[in-house]
Amino acid sequence: MNTPDKIKVLYIDDEQNNLNGFKATFRFDYTVYIAANTAQAYEHLKAHPDISVVLCDQRMPDKTGAQFYSEMRETYPEPVRMLITGYADIESVIEAVNMGHIFRYIKKPWTDTDIKSAIEEANKFYITNSLLTAKNKELQSAYDELGKFAYSVTHDLRGPLLSVIGALDLAKTMDSLPDLREILGMMDVAVKKLDEFIKNTHEYYNLKRGRLVFEQLDFNNIVNDTAALFRIAGRMDNVRFTSRVIQNEPFISDEISIKIVLNNLFSNAFKFQRKTATDKFVDIDVEVANNTAIILVKDNGIGIQENHINNIFTMFYRATSEAAGSGFGLYNVKDALNKLNGTIEVSSVFNEGTNFKVTIPGKANGAN
Amino acid sequence: MVQTKKLHFIVIDDSKLDCFIAEKIIKNTGKSESIRSFLQAKEALEFVATSHPDEQSHTIILVDIQMPVMNGFEFVEAFEALPTHITAHYTIYVISSSINENDLNRVHNYSSVKQFLNKPLNSNSLTILLQQ
Repeated sequence: MNTPDKIKVLYIDDEQNNLNGFKATFRFDYTVYIAANTAQAYEHLKAHPDISVVLCDQRMPDKTGAQFYSEMRETYPEPVRMLITGYADIESVIEAVNMGHIFRYIKKPWTDTDIKSAIEEANKFYITNSLLTAKNKELQSAYDELGKFAYSVTHDLRGPLLSVIGALDLAKTMDSLPDLREILGMMDVAVKKLDEFIKNTHEYYNLKRGRLVFEQLDFNNIVNDTAALFRIAGRMDNVRFTSRVIQNEPFISDEISIKIVLNNLFSNAFKFQRKTATDKFVDIDVEVANNTAIILVKDNGIGIQENHINNIFTMFYRATSEAAGSGFGLYNVKDALNKLNGTIEVSSVFNEGTNFKVTIPGKANGAN
Repeated sequence: MVQTKKLHFIVIDDSKLDCFIAEKIIKNTGKSESIRSFLQAKEALEFVATSHPDEQSHTIILVDIQMPVMNGFEFVEAFEALPTHITAHYTIYVISSSINENDLNRVHNYSSVKQFLNKPLNSNSLTILLQQ
């Protein structure tokens, strides 16, 4: 193994001499924890959740090793369990093995090589199992997202489409031009909403499957590029936009992810303005120092109600019906930041405005 | 039975276009005394809760399922908790683009919901509804 971390081993035996001997023999190869009874063993398991191998003597005064293992695996199923035993206990050992309580047993008196090879094997088994568990978790979360996705498709894709179908149907019976214009205007909104949802889906897919491309970035360019999109679309009209970028050092990161973050934060800041306000503003402030970029996006829009603020990064969650949202934007922001090891904080006062603070560590030069 | 009473309509949908469509179609039937649209279910609930329906009037509520803040199901639950001297004057129809089986089945759990209607609302489905 190349990892600098030593395998963590817990050994339980009621004879102090055995414990001391074990520790003295193996402390250079492994990180060894010893316990004279099962209560102490549980303390170690609780304090060190990364213990991967447990060895336990079968004959102990309070309970047998096999009994301890059948209990232990309820709370701590991950560590690989091995039993140390003399010939006299063979019946109970067979039972324990068959019940799946233990990975293997080591007969007494053991040799150092027996123990070492057993620990190495057990650790391999532990690593394989952990990888499998991690993969299963990934699969489960992908599956959950697919479920949410399928559900939302009926609403977010089908909804605007059905609205347009209904509107077309209605328009056929209309004669007045102003009425027709009104309905066309609304159809326009519905179709654009659909388009936004599809674009967001594409973003989501890129984030999930795309590879990061690390290169030197100039935040002045990134902020200007992103702001230009909003200016062209007319979304900055009547909103005072100010940007300030301080970057005196090179910064390496993935441009697409950062643009997704900025694009969504800008989009929300411009979208969720108070309609009646006369002094609407959106401010962006970027400062790169000590290989960390801190991005602040501030607006004085409608704000977020306190009871919704914990959910805003959840997929398809929408905290307001004020404007057309897909419920995708901030989820994608969070996802992009997770990939860059970045973080996002939000503070908001309802009806006063919202501040987002994004922190992104730069990739170390030359590292991969 | 309802025909002798004055019919009022409430439309609850976070899509402006869907409210607009519903309003026009209802108006075209010529059987409505009034139509009110709400983009937020919470506001509709407040309106219903503080209403003083008179004996001669009845209100049909068309409510969408998927809406932010308060969804259609939450609205129906809150509605059912209102006193009967109010709820007796309302009939709820759930109208949605959902083709999710859970949503469709869930509609049956609410005694106040008369029927599930598919979007988009059209004059046919509304005429059938008014004949019931």
